[in-house]
Amino acid sequence: MPTRDYLRPASIDEALAARAAKPEAAFIAGGTFLLSSDRPTAPRLYVDVGRLLGAKIERRGAELVLGAGATFQDLVDAPALPAALKAAAATMANRNVRNRATVGGNLGAGKSCSSLIPALLALEARVVCAERPDAAHLSLPLSSWLERPTGLVLEVIVPVEAGRRAAFARWSRSACDLSVLTAAASYRLDGPGSIRGLAVAAGGLGPRARRFPEIERLFEGGALPPRGEIEALVAPLLSPVDDHRGGAAFKRLRGASLVADAILTAEEQA
Amino acid sequence: MKVAFKLNGRAVSWEASPGESLKALLHRRGVISVRDGCDGEGSCGLCAVLLDGRLVNSCLVLAAQAEGSTVLTVERFSKDRKLGVVQRALVDAACVQCGYCTPAVVLAIHDLLERSKDPTREEVRDALSGTLCRCTGYEQFYAAVRIASRRLADPDYSEALAPEFKPELRHVGKDREKVDAAALALGEKAFVEDRVEANACHLKMLGSPHAHAWIKSIDAGAALAMPGVVAVLTHENCPDKVYTTAGQGFPEPSPHDQRMFSRKVRHVGDRVAAVLAETAEEAEAALAAIKVEYEILEPVLSIAAAKAPGAPVVHSGEVRYVVGEPPAGSSTKGDGRDDPITYQFPLHADPHRNLAASAADGIGDIEKGFAEADVVIERKYRGNRVQSTPMEPHSVFAKVDGGRLVLHASTQVPWHVRRVVSRVIGIPENKVRVVKERVGGGFGAKQDIVVEDVAGYLAWTTGKSVFFRYNREQEFIASRTRHAMEITVKLGARRDGKLTAILMRLDADTGPYGQHCLTVPMNAISKSLPLLLCENARFEVKSYYTNLSPAGAYQGYGAPKGSFALQTALAELAAELGIGQLEMIEKNRVTSGARIEILRSLGEGREGQAVTLGECGLGDMIARGRKSLSWDEPKPDSGDPDWKIGRGAVIIQQGSGLPGLDAANAEVRLLADGTVILLSGGADLGTGLDTVTAKAVAETLGLEMEDVAVISGDTDTTPFDKGAYASSGTYFSGNAALKAAEDLRAKILATAAAVLGEKPGDLRVERGGKVVGKNGSISFAKLAHMATQGEGHGELTGQACFKTDHAAFPYGAHFVELAVNARSGEVKVRRYHAYQDCGTPINPALAKGQIFGGCLKAIGHSLYEEMVYDGEGRCRNPRFLDYKIPSIYEVPEDFRVELVPVEDEVGPFGGKSISEIAVNGAAPAIAIAIHDAVGAWCREWPFTPERVLRALGKL
Repeated sequence: MPTRDYLRPASIDEALAARAAKPEAAFIAGGTFLLSSDRPTAPRLYVDVGRLLGAKIERRGAELVLGAGATFQDLVDAPALPAALKAAAATMANRNVRNRATVGGNLGAGKSCSSLIPALLALEARVVCAERPDAAHLSLPLSSWLERPTGLVLEVIVPVEAGRRAAFARWSRSACDLSVLTAAASYRLDGPGSIRGLAVAAGGLGPRARRFPEIERLFEGGALPPRGEIEALVAPLLSPVDDHRGGAAFKRLRGASLVADAILTAEEQA
Repeated sequence: MKVAFKLNGRAVSWEASPGESLKALLHRRGVISVRDGCDGEGSCGLCAVLLDGRLVNSCLVLAAQAEGSTVLTVERFSKDRKLGVVQRALVDAACVQCGYCTPAVVLAIHDLLERSKDPTREEVRDALSGTLCRCTGYEQFYAAVRIASRRLADPDYSEALAPEFKPELRHVGKDREKVDAAALALGEKAFVEDRVEANACHLKMLGSPHAHAWIKSIDAGAALAMPGVVAVLTHENCPDKVYTTAGQGFPEPSPHDQRMFSRKVRHVGDRVAAVLAETAEEAEAALAAIKVEYEILEPVLSIAAAKAPGAPVVHSGEVRYVVGEPPAGSSTKGDGRDDPITYQFPLHADPHRNLAASAADGIGDIEKGFAEADVVIERKYRGNRVQSTPMEPHSVFAKVDGGRLVLHASTQVPWHVRRVVSRVIGIPENKVRVVKERVGGGFGAKQDIVVEDVAGYLAWTTGKSVFFRYNREQEFIASRTRHAMEITVKLGARRDGKLTAILMRLDADTGPYGQHCLTVPMNAISKSLPLLLCENARFEVKSYYTNLSPAGAYQGYGAPKGSFALQTALAELAAELGIGQLEMIEKNRVTSGARIEILRSLGEGREGQAVTLGECGLGDMIARGRKSLSWDEPKPDSGDPDWKIGRGAVIIQQGSGLPGLDAANAEVRLLADGTVILLSGGADLGTGLDTVTAKAVAETLGLEMEDVAVISGDTDTTPFDKGAYASSGTYFSGNAALKAAEDLRAKILATAAAVLGEKPGDLRVERGGKVVGKNGSISFAKLAHMATQGEGHGELTGQACFKTDHAAFPYGAHFVELAVNARSGEVKVRRYHAYQDCGTPINPALAKGQIFGGCLKAIGHSLYEEMVYDGEGRCRNPRFLDYKIPSIYEVPEDFRVELVPVEDEVGPFGGKSISEIAVNGAAPAIAIAIHDAVGAWCREWPFTPERVLRALGKL
């Protein structure tokens, strides 16, 4: 293992400056990816932001604000978290890892197996991030940030909208396994069963968890379709790869089924 | 950089390197209770600490990140070697088996009890979700948490954890503290890694990147010149000997087909070169500097590929036989390039056609049997490779001391290690000492000499102390796995269900070398076929070389796969005939007093003999399971149309050691204060064998458990024992200890008779360590003290050897109720009830713990565990992130073990074996229950959702 350097900056600005000065540097907080599965390609310099990031989970008006330093266990323990978010946080490995892994780190790692990312995408979360010292913080949709991650995530803002329903579903090989396949959905039901503002996100089906507008278009504006119809329409839109975690055909079938689970169980989770 | 933090209440300021983990720092500074089972991947939880009050894996924390923090390890929770309340509860609840995970469990439970005074089952699950344990099956942790939480309120709280047996005995059949449990719960030095001296050199192994290749050239020059490098070993400078790494009695029923290093590599991870250097980092760096040119060969990656005409040949060297002639038509002439293969006796092999061994035999006339049948079915069952994943990987610390080689080993077979290592090095056995340390899980993988040969050789030749520890990937790909097998079962039966003929055709994949190549597949037959009484039965076993990871011994030793095939086929036949599954078993199973004719052809290394069984407890076990699972009632409704409920049941068996082949010895010494030391050859792997032997001695001599100290598995100080395999511990090593204690008791009585002037027949040993006669009495202490004096009668010691021709079969019946999601293919085991006859349970709660552990392992094997290979023979999941073993979340909600003893006439106090049998039930029981739920037969395990959906025709 190459020798690594470690820096504990005193402020966010110092952290940003240190990272900007050394392209081989990476921010570290909980370290559950960087020190584990990402270790072989770990950076030369760790810039430790673990104690700089806010860890609060709080309601601000019509928004729920997650400090980037909040751990997954903090999410699980938070009293007023949307059920979809709590369910996603609870699937993170096990308590030991949840005690360390942070919201910001999970977004930064950007893994396809993240449970949190699809849940936040479906809830149309935004991120607040700091790009440069002394510059104003950016606020942008999580989906945009994921396409081009930049700066250091400080907060995640989850809009809280009355009547918006959301649910998360996943498949893993065992209870404490990473999420092999995930799906999350949120929407409002307008009148007698008309889906409005449908957001669907899924992971494990490509290099990154992402929104699936092609799925959203299928069901937007319509009544809640029966499970079989969702599965039949969604499956052809998924293109997973064959790997040791499952065959492509299985993942397509199961992925479509999880999308159906998310859409249908969301109905009860207003 | 300096890192300052508070460790267990003490301020420390330690130098750490910037990339160093907190775990590495703690371990380097002597906090040995912080263990490691996953190379810092963060997936095993054994390095857990409480960091600022939160349970975290210290491998996933940079040392620098602990600056200013509070760090607690298990040392914080005991004082002056006195167990803390959680540690005491874990010991009392029989949760300390190998003990490698225990310190982490202690921390997790402390953390839990801080948050919750009276935790629910769900809270316990959550608290322990990050800690992997391969021994216990987790079930008894619930009791430990309950006991700890109650004792915090009421220090005197206690509860019975298992029923008691043998009311006439004091210790046997009652729960007593496992003799090594306290030290393990305290996190004291116990394992090989704890014996490594500060100046030890580190051995690292270069593994082959190819599954099958010749080494065209190897250049270690640059590596040798690197800083700290002491030696580099390759096929060019290693001993020129072939041997088998199987830790079996000599002559081994495994071909001698492995050189320490070969010119040919036969699997990914096969040995290419070893580097010995002053630090681990220097050794790693030197490995990278070794230049190897390979001539890549087509690999053999399946049984079908191995037996195909014109298949690539895994072993092409000359084939020699020590006894007997090569089978007619087999090829023996070597290619002049590959290492020779020596068979100690003919195993019906033809290595140049990749056939490592074969056997076929039977009773009666199966053709006649099939002709008489009303129904005949033929089914093929497959089982893939699984790994036993002891949490402590293979480890050895070797050094030269006093002109002799000393190996501190994590092994099941100290004497076989001594024999093999001395022969490989070319020194007499009296120059080698093997000290078995506490073993952090063995499960069969440590029956083989996987690391000791090369570490011993390098220590002996360089004079340096050598530490060699496998990493987790090596443990997967270059240790030992369960043989992959394909078993075709053909059954014939009359309309009423009575079997008329059984044919089992078994093909096994032994991997690149032939350790256990015949005995494991044969055991698949010999522990499954004798469960069914049928006049016409035949088996044909073939074991093939391939270029996949080495196979070997793993708890059950083939029996789980034989059991899966035969029990599932029997259930398939029952379904075909419209007969109830249990009725089908009852119609055909072995019964009290039955004559088991098939054992004539299943001799296990000697001439087979039919056996007339004494009492058989299967009827009782089946009746109990039938009742507890409400078998005759309609199945419960899952309440969800996708989830279908199913039930299944199987009968299983194992043996108790190898009668006629193996032997165990023990010695008991009486000390001057009336206590005793037991010198047992037995190898306790965390199974509790040392507790079994201590009990035998305490019971026999009327002593307390504390009066018996056990020293075991040390080839210098304790007498020979065949080792811990074939479920032999209690039966062989336990009996040796019992007989040695009886020998000492006889000598005590004879000596006391002379001292007291009474007839030996008038004397008896009484509780409290004394001899009482008609007229007087004398304490053991007095007698022993006299023995040390000038006028004395010599030290009082008892010795014994145990061997037997008697075969003792433990039986079991396992019942499962599960739910299958017909849409997703998921299987949830809701209830698992194991009824197990281990003869007299010597230590009931520990016995149950081993059975829980075996059952849960087998549930893991059945549902998700599987080594997956790519098209070039590379294992794609050699780590816990992707090879899932059960966590506490996989424990069935209703998990029950009941001991149903049928005493054995030869076993110690009527005891039989426990260790292996419990893994034989889950796969067939689950397959049968899946069929019961959704009507599809899964004939390949693991029964992943993908395979279940395929069986349902949905994929």
